[in-house]
Amino acid sequence: MSTPRLALALALAAALAAGCAAPEKTRYGDAKGVETLTNQFGSTDLQMIAESMTRSMLQAPVIVSGNLPIVTVQEVRNKTSEYIDTRSITDTIRAELQKGGKVRFAVDASAMTPQVDEIKRQQSEYYAKEQAVQKGQMVGAQYRMEGNITSIVKQVKDTKDVYYKFNLQLWNIRNGLLEWSDEKEIRKTTTRG
Amino acid sequence: MNPRWTIAALLVAGLAGCWATKKGFEIPGQAFGCPVGDSRVSSMDDLVKQKVTSEGKRTTIQATEMRCSRSGDLLKIDANLNNDSSTVKRIAYKFRWIDAEGMRAWEEENWKPVLMYENSIS
Repeated sequence: MSTPRLALALALAAALAAGCAAPEKTRYGDAKGVETLTNQFGSTDLQMIAESMTRSMLQAPVIVSGNLPIVTVQEVRNKTSEYIDTRSITDTIRAELQKGGKVRFAVDASAMTPQVDEIKRQQSEYYAKEQAVQKGQMVGAQYRMEGNITSIVKQVKDTKDVYYKFNLQLWNIRNGLLEWSDEKEIRKTTTRG
Repeated sequence: MNPRWTIAALLVAGLAGCWATKKGFEIPGQAFGCPVGDSRVSSMDDLVKQKVTSEGKRTTIQATEMRCSRSGDLLKIDANLNNDSSTVKRIAYKFRWIDAEGMRAWEEENWKPVLMYENSIS
């Protein structure tokens, strides 16, 4: 085929393809609805884990005592085969606990750098000395929160089964005792056809 | 939400301060431990009718029993859902927290999926 004919054919094909393509539709959905698009870790899993852990932790004796324990959030290790933003899970749990007003949170390791930077900035010559935050005033946590998420994935011909287990623990930093721990299990099965 | 999901919503009214109705051995304003305010609740069926609403397709899933208890300042709710069908059903539920004036007392919860085996109680 000569070059002009080929170009014309390609242009026609492109025009046809554009004409046939279904128009895109964008709609807002229910952020709290059950999402079953795939069996990968999804928003419903995150929400269920966060809610279950928050409810359970609020009944832990160290929280019920009403002494407003100070907690720092450590890592939730992702031991699954897929990418999961575990920080997002602990952020949601922290937000829910904070709203309940029963727990206070201390700066965690990941937020330490910006915290220290801000203290240093306030101590520079640009700030009034009497109002600037002084070093050595931060309050350390009494408890640390850490956990794991693991998964078991099994697949046969047309069926894929995913089992997630999320475990969260609250450790007493001073004496190393485990004050509270709980788990949430989720099973999802996808069948083709 | 996937239309195949059948929705059962549990509506729980936290009617603090409305302790007017006297009912047997119940604390005034409570029925089976659940806060009911001034409403007349004389049986479990009345309580379930008052507290539970369903959305989506009508199915064989029915709430049959509900009991509440307090642990500190937390309200614990146990509800039985029956699946009278001979097939497995998948439903989702959530609690809606309502204050004495009928206003939302807490933000909307997320839907929680539950699998119910045939002829079972969850």
